[in-house]
Amino acid sequence: MKIQIDSSLYERATKASATAGYSSVDEFIAHAIERELKRLDAEDAEQQVADQLRGLGYIE
Amino acid sequence: MSLDSEIIIVSGLPRSGTSLMMQMLHVGGVEVVTDHVRTADVDNPRGYFEFERAKQIEHDTSWLPSTRGKAFKMVSQLLYHLPPREPYRIIFMQRDLDEILISQEKMLQRREIAAAPREKIKEAFTLHLERLFEWLHDQRNISVLTVNYNELLDNSRQYAETISEFLGNIPVVPAMVQAIDPNLYRNRRTTPQSQNTSS
Repeated sequence: MKIQIDSSLYERATKASATAGYSSVDEFIAHAIERELKRLDAEDAEQQVADQLRGLGYIE
Repeated sequence: MSLDSEIIIVSGLPRSGTSLMMQMLHVGGVEVVTDHVRTADVDNPRGYFEFERAKQIEHDTSWLPSTRGKAFKMVSQLLYHLPPREPYRIIFMQRDLDEILISQEKMLQRREIAAAPREKIKEAFTLHLERLFEWLHDQRNISVLTVNYNELLDNSRQYAETISEFLGNIPVVPAMVQAIDPNLYRNRRTTPQSQNTSS
């Protein structure tokens, strides 16, 4: 699978991956995507929890 | 520990036994902060022990210093808003998640609010608790004692002693034990081993 990204972003990612000790820029990008997906999942979960708590009268 | 300087918080998910813990602390001799706005009902026959201002913590923390040395109840998601300038002792109630959800669904039904699909909200609560405990672990001003509601009912004295120790041996153990009424343990998860349960 190929994903297109801006060349300057790719260059920045390459430099950052080397600085951070990743074995390749691919690994760095995969890790960044994973982290962002986890963040979005967590945000979604907290919203669902908030809706439930509001329904039960525990938050406003 | 000096109970005068630290703030005691009873937290957890709704229906995890936080009201029971507040009742235990109250009869055990800890001053509890409650405004009696939310009164006892069929879901909490002994009362909720809630403090409405705690729900506003994201926007107003001016009341917080007046709770030093006392205990109040705060639902888990609001703990993130506790200002780091104060030291806290948190008793965090845990309970079988399916039992919590059964109880919450009944409560929502009585409030005529549609409940979210069980598996979806269970997943959300699980992730919420995982993240919250990671966060709590990193907070140097917060000490946490987790108390399992199901185990508390089975080993009341042992748990009461642990809780009292966590709070500087201030709460009186026998009084705390007496506050536990197993008849209020409803919404038990039905398993092949425990069929004779009430609602």
